[in-house]
Amino acid sequence: MSSTLIKCFNLAKTVGNATVKSFLAAPKQPWQACRKWVLARKRGQISHSAPHVQMPMQMHTSPVRRDLMEFFDDKKNWSENEVKVGRAWRTEELRIKSNKELHQLWFVLLKERNMLLTMEHECNDKMEVFPSPERIDKVKISMENLETVVRERNKAYHLLETGETGERPQKAVKNAFGLQVSYKSCEHALPPFMNLKWIKSRNIGFGGRAVNRFLLKYREKLYNAKRKAKNRSRNEVMMILRRNPNFDLNVLRRQFPDVNVDKLCNEDKIRGHYVPKVGV
Amino acid sequence: MSTRWYPIYQRGNPQLRVFLPNFWMKLIRPTEEQPPNVVTFSVSMEMTKYDVRSYLEKIYKLPVVDVRTRIALGETKKDQTYGYITKKDDVKLAYVTLPREESFVFPDFFSEKAEKQAQEEKSLDESKAGFRRFLDRNKKRPGTPGWFSI
Repeated sequence: MSSTLIKCFNLAKTVGNATVKSFLAAPKQPWQACRKWVLARKRGQISHSAPHVQMPMQMHTSPVRRDLMEFFDDKKNWSENEVKVGRAWRTEELRIKSNKELHQLWFVLLKERNMLLTMEHECNDKMEVFPSPERIDKVKISMENLETVVRERNKAYHLLETGETGERPQKAVKNAFGLQVSYKSCEHALPPFMNLKWIKSRNIGFGGRAVNRFLLKYREKLYNAKRKAKNRSRNEVMMILRRNPNFDLNVLRRQFPDVNVDKLCNEDKIRGHYVPKVGV
Repeated sequence: MSTRWYPIYQRGNPQLRVFLPNFWMKLIRPTEEQPPNVVTFSVSMEMTKYDVRSYLEKIYKLPVVDVRTRIALGETKKDQTYGYITKKDDVKLAYVTLPREESFVFPDFFSEKAEKQAQEEKSLDESKAGFRRFLDRNKKRPGTPGWFSI
């Protein structure tokens, strides 16, 4: 991890960004740097360890362990029941990082995920409880957020340069059952008119009588579900009004937006089994 | 993302590169006895031998001599009561050979765990016994707080 650290130091020198400097100045040892990178911590904790940095001569770096032990957790966590870690990286924190930093962070997260998956696999094998499994989720969330940020930048760049988003193109097509699905296009070695196998595969009874009959019944099913849901909510409103004659109508309107409450008020069904009080 | 898909390789094209690789690798305990310089990995299904090699060399800076992969068939099981069949997912295993002078022994994580657990149980038993003593002492005067007498 020290190479990452050195890279970051160089970066801090060139960029001269105060936040980056304070961010990198905190860790004393490479493994600490790694931990800081893996999971963002609260600012208070980082600034808390800052006074140690005022004496640069005392900075000690142990040799980097670039071996297979990187696939396993820290030795002191081996027999723990709980490992305490920080939270996942948020999108807004990642947005202020440079592309280079994001790229570095991706590989740190990748290594962390490999380590966690290895430990989880071994714990499952040995019928032991994997300590703090939420770590995997945190790394996953961080990676998803990082990818979102990279995608945003990618999109912006492509829109600026080409006028298109640069995303994988999608289109709505109908599948063999006549239902609409979104198809993500991908690269093919042959153009469509030359790909006879694909052309043949397209002509298997699609659009025939069976498909039409299926679609008819399928739509009927959907329609029935919708109709029944509507009736159910209408009946519910009626029963509420029958049991509670002074119920707040605005609440009902808000709760059941698809029911015409004012129309129901004139229905005979909402009257209870009692003589209505007239002139009160 | 567009960088996630390998473009179809055509002769003369540049080498395949991925900007943010999403592959995972698990180092697993070998089921059979292996030479000391062979390590077993469980890898993403879409990884090739070349992917495994470059992953270890570029990201983990490990010297790799040879990579062999296979796809292990997931276990198929028939339900005892209802007779339906379930199947576990297939996994891709990679056997990575390191240089001859390297040797790797899979560590034992849970050797100290039993000791630690015994200690914790002991302290728990002690506190339980203490609470029982307190209850015995306060049998004849229920409801008195703990600080009332020694």
